[in-house]
This record gives sequence, C-alpha cells and structure tokens, in this order.
Amino acid sequence: MLVVGTTIGIVATWLTVFHRTPGGISDGPWKTNLTSGSARSDPYQRAFVAIHGLLALNQSEAIYYTATVDNDGHALDGRCRYEITGHDPDARWWSITAYGADDYLIPNPAHRYSVSETDIARAASGGFAVQVGGERRGGNWIPVGPGRFSLTLRLYNPGPSVVRDPAHTALPALKEVSCS
Amino acid sequence: MSRQNEWAMWIAATIAVAVLVHVVTIYALPRRIMARTLRRMGPPNTIHFAKRPDETSRGVVSPSPDLLYSACPFDLSKGPLKITASVPHSTYWSVSGFDAATNNFFVRNDQQIAGDSIEIIALRPGMPLPPLDAAPVRVIVFVPTNKGLFLFRLLINDEKQQPALDALRRQASCGTVASLPTPH
Repeated sequence: MLVVGTTIGIVATWLTVFHRTPGGISDGPWKTNLTSGSARSDPYQRAFVAIHGLLALNQSEAIYYTATVDNDGHALDGRCRYEITGHDPDARWWSITAYGADDYLIPNPAHRYSVSETDIARAASGGFAVQVGGERRGGNWIPVGPGRFSLTLRLYNPGPSVVRDPAHTALPALKEVSCS
Repeated sequence: MSRQNEWAMWIAATIAVAVLVHVVTIYALPRRIMARTLRRMGPPNTIHFAKRPDETSRGVVSPSPDLLYSACPFDLSKGPLKITASVPHSTYWSVSGFDAATNNFFVRNDQQIAGDSIEIIALRPGMPLPPLDAAPVRVIVFVPTNKGLFLFRLLINDEKQQPALDALRRQASCGTVASLPTPH
C-alpha cells in the first residue's frame, strides 16, 4: 500500500509539473501566468516555474509568454521551419528565445539563440519577420535543433496595454512554413 | 472484517498516501531546486559573476542570452547583508530578490533609481538595523527567509558595449554587514 501510494503520488507530481503546459492566460500560441515568480503563485505554478523558469521576475517587472505550439496548435518541432511575424510588443524591451526540451539554449553552429528589440531587422512599416529553424535566410533567424522546442517571449517593463489585458495584447504570430 | 471491506480500506489508505506524497513533493520541489541552485552558485554572501549564457550554460534553466547575470546567494543567519552596485542608465538593469521558496520578493530597475549606484541592506524582520554610513541611494529590504538570492540582470543592448558593461557589473559587491568595515 505504501509503495503503490508513493508511486501514484510521485507519478501525479511528475504529470502535473513536468508535463504541464504553461497555464493561465493564452494569447494565440503564447501562454503566460501572471502569478509566476510571485508569492501569490499557487503551489503547482511555483513548482512549474522552479523547473522550467527558475528566478522568473514577477509581473510588475517582466511578463514571460511561452509558446510550445504554433498558431494552428501543432507542437513546435525542430524538423519544421516557422515564421514569426508582427510588430514590437508594448514593452520597454522584448526578446524571443528558443529553448530545447531540457529548457536550456539549443546548441547550434551560429551560436544564435534569440532575437530582440535591440537587434531585430524591421521593414519600413515597422513590422518584422523572424525565421525559426531551417537554413539561415536573412538576419532575423533563430536556429533550433531537430527535436521539440519552445519559444519564450520576454517583455521587460511591460506597457499598459499588456498589463491591462495580457490575453489580448498584440503579440507576434507564429506559423509553420514547411516541414521536412 | 469482510474481504470487501479490507479492499476498501486498502484503496482508501493507498489514495491517502498518494495524496500526501503528491502534496509534499509539490511543496518541496521549488525549495529543493532553489537549495541546489544556491549550493551550485558557490559560497553565500559573496557575489558571483556568471559568464554570458550560451548553449553550455547549466546553472539555471531558461537563461536569457541577451543578459549578463550576477548573483549573490545569501544566508542571513550570519547577520544583515549589504549589497552595493553601480547602476547604468543606458540600458536595462535590475536587481531582484528571491526567497528559499523561489518567490520574487523584491525588484528595482535602473529607471527606479535616481543615482548611479545603489546600496541595499537586506535583513530578516526583527533583526536590528546595523549602523550605517551615508549612501546616495539606500534601500532596506526585509527578507522572508534566511536563505535566498539577489540576482542582477544587465541587458547587452550593444554588442560593442559588452566589455564596458561587464566591467560595470563587476563593481557590485555583497557581504554580511558584520564582515564589512565599520562606518566612521
């Protein structure tokens, strides 16, 4: 009874924390939880953040959106090529970073891991397009490995529109272009 | 007791154990992960300057490759902590405090600090405030747990400026007030 109960308890923890998707608020493929990092966080969210995003700042300083699927709901797969399109989110500074299934930066020959408000190339309209995966095509490119990956959109000092309504703020679209 | 009742008791006890284990592990996970992270960073009450995150970085999950991180793991059982740092106003900079349960209990960024430097005195509620000399910007922070971490983030907003930004962040220090020189 002790062995079976302990096993069930540990498996339940594993399933609810390690295989949990970042919960809370959704905006297209991007998900966030506004209690991340704060003492208001529930025990499950606190455990989730400790495993997947330890030392996250609370929402007054930064909001972290994570995408594990594209706009059509398909899991992000390193064998596919994606395009992120949009305009600068409402924040003092923002970045989009790719992480492997282990939540660390993905090894790649170019040593590129992110694009940000600082270095992104924009069109005359102010919009941008970023290629994720595949071979390099232009400067806005985040290489990823062959396996599952996720993208984190960091908004440092988020603007009023994000803070007011984080589920309906203008965030970039994430669409699959091709799959090998 | 009938065989049916024995089974019912066994199932109920197993469920109770499962729930207990689940609740305890969910509660303990962040604290264990934080304790392990603090141990890996090195001795407490001193500052550690991490290299710029890349694919080999394994200190903390999901690091930002655009930031330079510096950390002061602390143990307030040895007395209040004093942290000093230079504050740039040309890029994003912040200092944040995390308790032993991973909660972010404090944060200040460059736009919230008037001068070019900051001094933070961190202590547990009820601890007497140590004698202090004059400081341009001083913040007193009450910390929920004895152990935890202050983390500095510095945005590399221009690759050419990285050496200068790295030199600036290395001006930061942290240590127990008792181990620091007494103010005159």
